[in-house]
Amino acid sequence: MSVQELLAEYGDKYVLALLTTWKLTALAFSAAFVIGIVVTVMRVSPVKPLRVAGDFYVQIFRNIPGAALLIVLVYALPYLNVVLSYFTCVLTATALIPAAFCSEYLMAGMNTIALGQIEAARALGMNFSQMIRLIVIPQALRSSVLPMTNLLVATMLTTALASQVPLNPTDLTGIVAHINTHAVGGVTAFLISAVLYCATAVVIGQIGNLIDRKARILR
Amino acid sequence: MVQAEENKEVLTEQSPIIELRNIDKYFGEHHVLKGISLTVKKGEVVVVIGPSGSGKSTLCRTINRLETIDSGEIIIDGVPMPGEGRKLAQLRAQIGMVFQSFNLFAHKNILDNVIMAPVEVLHMPKQQAKEEALQLLKRVGVESQAAKVPAQLSGGQQQRVAIARALAMHPKAILFDEPTSALDPEMINEVLDVMTELAAEGMTMVVVTHEMNFARRVADRIIFMDDGSILEENTPEEFFEHPKTQRAQDFLNSIKEH
Repeated sequence: MSVQELLAEYGDKYVLALLTTWKLTALAFSAAFVIGIVVTVMRVSPVKPLRVAGDFYVQIFRNIPGAALLIVLVYALPYLNVVLSYFTCVLTATALIPAAFCSEYLMAGMNTIALGQIEAARALGMNFSQMIRLIVIPQALRSSVLPMTNLLVATMLTTALASQVPLNPTDLTGIVAHINTHAVGGVTAFLISAVLYCATAVVIGQIGNLIDRKARILR
Repeated sequence: MVQAEENKEVLTEQSPIIELRNIDKYFGEHHVLKGISLTVKKGEVVVVIGPSGSGKSTLCRTINRLETIDSGEIIIDGVPMPGEGRKLAQLRAQIGMVFQSFNLFAHKNILDNVIMAPVEVLHMPKQQAKEEALQLLKRVGVESQAAKVPAQLSGGQQQRVAIARALAMHPKAILFDEPTSALDPEMINEVLDVMTELAAEGMTMVVVTHEMNFARRVADRIIFMDDGSILEENTPEEFFEHPKTQRAQDFLNSIKEH
């Protein structure tokens, strides 16, 4: 089938698929961001068990393939009487893994903060949580905008895991499988999805650059 | 009876703001502070001098426990300072600190740098903190920079903001850890002028510095340190004119030659 034929036949399904991909990306990245901050605060906290737990989280989820995690969530959890919807399984897998990377980027961002500022905060009588909330996390975030932008793109690409479970509406990768089981879309069906992934990534990249320019800390 | 007398003593004008008793500190094998005892009274300006590596900066940082100690006691305005916890933070909030490298918060503008701790630590209403901060910035001569971020200011301006940030906490004393050592020569005086004014207004100050003219002019008392010990403690006149120890004489000679 040609591009025109595919779009005429499946255009509205591509739109729905694109929206599903966007939705999964936005939800997964938001969750990853929050989890990443929490894990990072644990990793720098004065309480050793928290530090160990935070490091453990990163070691596990940085080193597990997304597909493997999805299989665990879909097929293993029911043995523990935990049955999640397919959407939730995909969302969980695509959030837990980027969260580990998010924490790594924040840790790198923290290393750019001069130790002197931490000492100044302590000398002013700030406690650990004030220091983290007012000095450390804001600066770590500002200096990690570009890696976070990359992480958002990576998270979007990871949402292709959705194609491995039955979802309705499915995502940009799932739609290709759908078309190729109902018709002969061939490589062209992939091409349309690829263009949509690329276009989204380019927009994300541009917005990331804008935010970075605004947020960058003069030193 | 004895207790009552002790209490009375604490309440007199002369009760020390800062008291260090037999402080020992090691960096690994290296004994950096050797049984240091020091008392700073209200309104006193104590200037600590000595060769580099003598422990004077470490001493200054020990007063608000930015450095851990191995033994000894630190007492702030009659209250023993613990090694950690909420009480430590509370006592630190009462003692201002100005660092060699300014250490302003890089992501906040000048005004926010000054109001952050009063608002967050002292729970001062934001409006009041702002008014006081602008007043303080005016006093140190940088009120026109309030909306800029630290990196847009010169070193001298940044250090004056750091002084305003310390003052905003209404501290009982301010520690200055080599406040002019990172400055270009033409900016040293603008910072020393602010410090001189503070001293004249009766602020209790501990100043680690290499600025001998400032020490001579402003100090009530000079502490000369070498190799982790206080070797001399005297008025500036006595210390600079008649240093008692050989090491102090050598030190003063070595700076005269330049």
